[in-house]
Amino acid sequence: MNTTFNLAWRLFRHEARRGELTIILLAIVLSVAAVLSLSLFSERLQQALTDRSAEFIAADRRLNSRTPVDEQWLVEAQQLGLQTAEQISTRSMVFGENEMALADLRAVNDEYPLKGSITIAPEPFAPAVDIEGTVPPGEVWIDSRLFQLLEVSIGDIIYVGDAELKVTQVLGEIPDAGFSVFNTDPIVLMSMADIAATNVTGPGSRVNYKAYFTGESGVLDDYYDWLRPQLDDEIHYWMTIESDQSAVGQAVSRAERYFLLASLLAIVLAAVSIAVAAQRYSQRHFDPVAIMKTIGASKQQIQRVYILQISFITILGILMGSILGVAIQQVVVTALGDSVEVSLDVWHWRPLMIALFTGSLCALMFSLYPLMQLFSVPPLRVLRKDIDASLSSRTIQFAAAGGAIFLLMWAYSRDLTISAILFVSGIVLVVGLLAVTYGLIALGRKLGGGAMGPWQLAWARIRRRAMDNSVQLISFSITIMLLLVVLVMRNDMIAQWRAQLPEGTPNYFVSNVTETQRPALVEQFEANNIRYDEFFPVVRGRFVAINDERIRTEVTKEDEEPAQEGRDGLGREANLTWDTELQTENRIVEGRWLDQWQPGMPHEVSVEAEVAGRLNMKVGDVLTFNIGSEIVEVVVTSLREVNWQTMQPNFFFVLHPAAMENFAATYITSFHLDQSRKAEITQLMLPFASVTLFDVDARINQLRDVVDQVSLAVEFILILVLAAGSLVLIAQVQASMDERQQELAILRTLGAKGRLIRLSVVFEFLIIGIVAGFMAALANEFSLWLLQSQVFQMEASIHWEYWAVAPLAGAIVVGILGALGCWRLLALNTSTLLRKMV
Amino acid sequence: MQYMIETKSITKTVNTSEGSLQILQPISFEVKAGESIAIVGASGSGKSTLLGLLAGLDEVTTGEVYLDGQGLHTMDEEQRAQLRGDKVGFIFQSFMLVQSLTALENIMLPAEINGLDKPKQRALEILEQVGLSHRAHHYPNQLSGGEQQRVAIARAFITQPKILFADEPTGNLDAANSDKIEALLFDLNQQNKTTLVLVTHDNELAAKCQRQLNMHAGELTETIVHSPSESLVTDCQREAS
Repeated sequence: MNTTFNLAWRLFRHEARRGELTIILLAIVLSVAAVLSLSLFSERLQQALTDRSAEFIAADRRLNSRTPVDEQWLVEAQQLGLQTAEQISTRSMVFGENEMALADLRAVNDEYPLKGSITIAPEPFAPAVDIEGTVPPGEVWIDSRLFQLLEVSIGDIIYVGDAELKVTQVLGEIPDAGFSVFNTDPIVLMSMADIAATNVTGPGSRVNYKAYFTGESGVLDDYYDWLRPQLDDEIHYWMTIESDQSAVGQAVSRAERYFLLASLLAIVLAAVSIAVAAQRYSQRHFDPVAIMKTIGASKQQIQRVYILQISFITILGILMGSILGVAIQQVVVTALGDSVEVSLDVWHWRPLMIALFTGSLCALMFSLYPLMQLFSVPPLRVLRKDIDASLSSRTIQFAAAGGAIFLLMWAYSRDLTISAILFVSGIVLVVGLLAVTYGLIALGRKLGGGAMGPWQLAWARIRRRAMDNSVQLISFSITIMLLLVVLVMRNDMIAQWRAQLPEGTPNYFVSNVTETQRPALVEQFEANNIRYDEFFPVVRGRFVAINDERIRTEVTKEDEEPAQEGRDGLGREANLTWDTELQTENRIVEGRWLDQWQPGMPHEVSVEAEVAGRLNMKVGDVLTFNIGSEIVEVVVTSLREVNWQTMQPNFFFVLHPAAMENFAATYITSFHLDQSRKAEITQLMLPFASVTLFDVDARINQLRDVVDQVSLAVEFILILVLAAGSLVLIAQVQASMDERQQELAILRTLGAKGRLIRLSVVFEFLIIGIVAGFMAALANEFSLWLLQSQVFQMEASIHWEYWAVAPLAGAIVVGILGALGCWRLLALNTSTLLRKMV
Repeated sequence: MQYMIETKSITKTVNTSEGSLQILQPISFEVKAGESIAIVGASGSGKSTLLGLLAGLDEVTTGEVYLDGQGLHTMDEEQRAQLRGDKVGFIFQSFMLVQSLTALENIMLPAEINGLDKPKQRALEILEQVGLSHRAHHYPNQLSGGEQQRVAIARAFITQPKILFADEPTGNLDAANSDKIEALLFDLNQQNKTTLVLVTHDNELAAKCQRQLNMHAGELTETIVHSPSESLVTDCQREAS
């Protein structure tokens, strides 16, 4: 055993020193580094973003309830080590000395908020800053608008129900204030100790009780497992940050899918280069194995020597890859440090485990077949060089390689379906490419005729080695295709993100604008040179029946869950708008738009597709709304897909204007006020005290930040994937050079000029590069369409520019690599070449 | 009497795309311990095939072949490998050195594989004998053809094999180097009392062996029984010195 170890170690040392292991080692290093840095980074980024999202519900988990939360539930949570906080909220009139207003009352205990912070402003509408702690008993912190509405100042008393409370701060924001452009009342933040004195939570009033929980996610899950059986769906709603369907949440989850995809592709690329390098490694060891067998080595000894060698390479590769991976991740996090607080304190074990798994699995599975081949080399090879390995079963090779790739995909994505889809599409793609390749090679036969120039020589070689070349072509194509996919996805994704938030994106929403206020407001905007959007009319309607069948209006959460932007359900009251023009970022998925309505026809409505699905509505259904004392019946004529990620008002129901002629609407619009002009807002809105104003700058900045961070991360991933791709190309060219060596030596011996040989090799690689690039562009289009439409929920488009770029880049890169490899060989003199052949 | 090599009607048939092809007709002969024989014949006559069978690198189709009394035809590859390790040394036309090991390590290789003690010391001694001590740490591609073959010879003798098979040992060398290698080969062979089976198409080299077996189209004829090896060795020693 000791001898075997020594021998393996000696071979490993010498080969490493002589650079024979560089490619295979680099491939392992790269796959481990890519996986480790990517997953470490994405785990940390996710952690950071999760923490950030948590601020929007002011905790990691939140329980919403229509009845007071059982004290015992909170005690249980505390005993498990969770932090808890409570809030009671309701809508109520509040009174100043002269004025009154409807307010959103939030009574909180001292622990609130568990995540995020309360902000206060020095004066109404001024920029707010974080404050430690919360409102003490006897005091209230109120929204800027209330100062206007109630005509009060700091130090004044306001009346909330039966209680008198002193206004001590201008409330900026509370973390879970929510975001809804409809009917949001200004917030009054008060202490929970005062709520009883107000008497506003008595019978008949609509009160929401919230309990907040923060702690280890495992403990939170355990707690929820304990709590769930005691919850009543009619009363309780358990909220996690994962249910965040906001624009930020969507951007992050899309980016995560991209990370996943890119890492999978990086792994596949690195794995392919391991496979190519391992094959070459194995072939170069046919002779040593034959020699060892000849001089008496048993099969077991040889197996041990080579398995040990592969283990050394793997261990070294994993070690180097891990160090590199951590370093890369550190660099990226440091680079990102300013824009995102990614903590490096917490060490994540999963990425390391996955990296180790990837390195070992790649090394093992991809070298399995080459090693088995190596072990099967008969000793007789010492006498007859033409005898190769006795084992040549492509089935084993494909099964091992395919199995490894599938296992990696599965382990990495933890999603059997996605892995299976990707894997099967991959196989279909390879088979398709194989067919195209054969066709192209057959076509080449025609082109390669005539006198023996470099072109003819190149074609002749391609033709003769049709099988080898098709494998090579496919691997070049797949490499280029994967690079294209990652590149184009990145471009499209970043472009679409950026397009959502162009400069001048509205950062304020106004709602409750009356018909009479509307022209004045427009005038005000124009006088102040403010860019504003379309005014959408809004009427609140109670949604009562579908096809005369009464529906339960309590099913929904729009009122209770403003943070959900009303999307999770349909409120007891729905916001109805009307128009004959389809809004941007809205797409009809079924039926027809409202513009074909003719007088005399029943009134029409277009319904957002998701809501339609949830409420089981179809085109042709008749919906009944109760608006004021009137009943309006409308027929569903279309279902619409809505991009909720845009910063524009969107509606579940868009009716034909004819249906709404008799109703007085309020209007909603949005406008952009430059950051530098924020101070003007008070003055600007002063004449419109009853209008509800919404500052969404924080939201937009947050989204912009996330997009920037994620874009940067995506760039970094692109570089990693490019590195992996280049490595594959180098490994492939290097491997194919070995095969070409013999022919070059013969041509050289026969007196072929260096120029002829060089040109013929360059042409050969150029042809392969062009064809591979073209096929890559083709396959890229197909894969992108699948990915964008099925996985990323993006609009798929054709990328004509890459049909030119890919063949060109393929030809240049592959041609240059081929030329370099060829130069290296031709730099040797003929006798050295011949000796290498022996 | 026990022979070092004994074959009884061995044949070799291979399958080709055009059906099976018998490349060796039934062959029977014996080689005594310490004898040197040359298998001569033109290219494609089957001499390397015969060598492969005698050395247990390949399996006979029919017939029996014994090496130091042990029936190779009854053994599997593992047993044959063990036997080769114990009793057989090899020298090849293309040297067949492991490129990623130094001269010294190449020589140590059989000793290590076969579990002999002090492989390094043995290798250094034999390296000295072949006159390459100063090249111990050079890789094969840093050595000339003649030097590589001397390393190969040293590697063949390190296990003190009972039989040495040499396949065109001077086939890749120029005349001067060939002479030196031949001298070294016969010299070590004599010292170690090794049975030598040499495949060559070089009649001069063949003539230095005690017996010559002539292969022609898969058939073997023994043409010459040569003079006693002593005189030959004397010649060789003189040449080597």
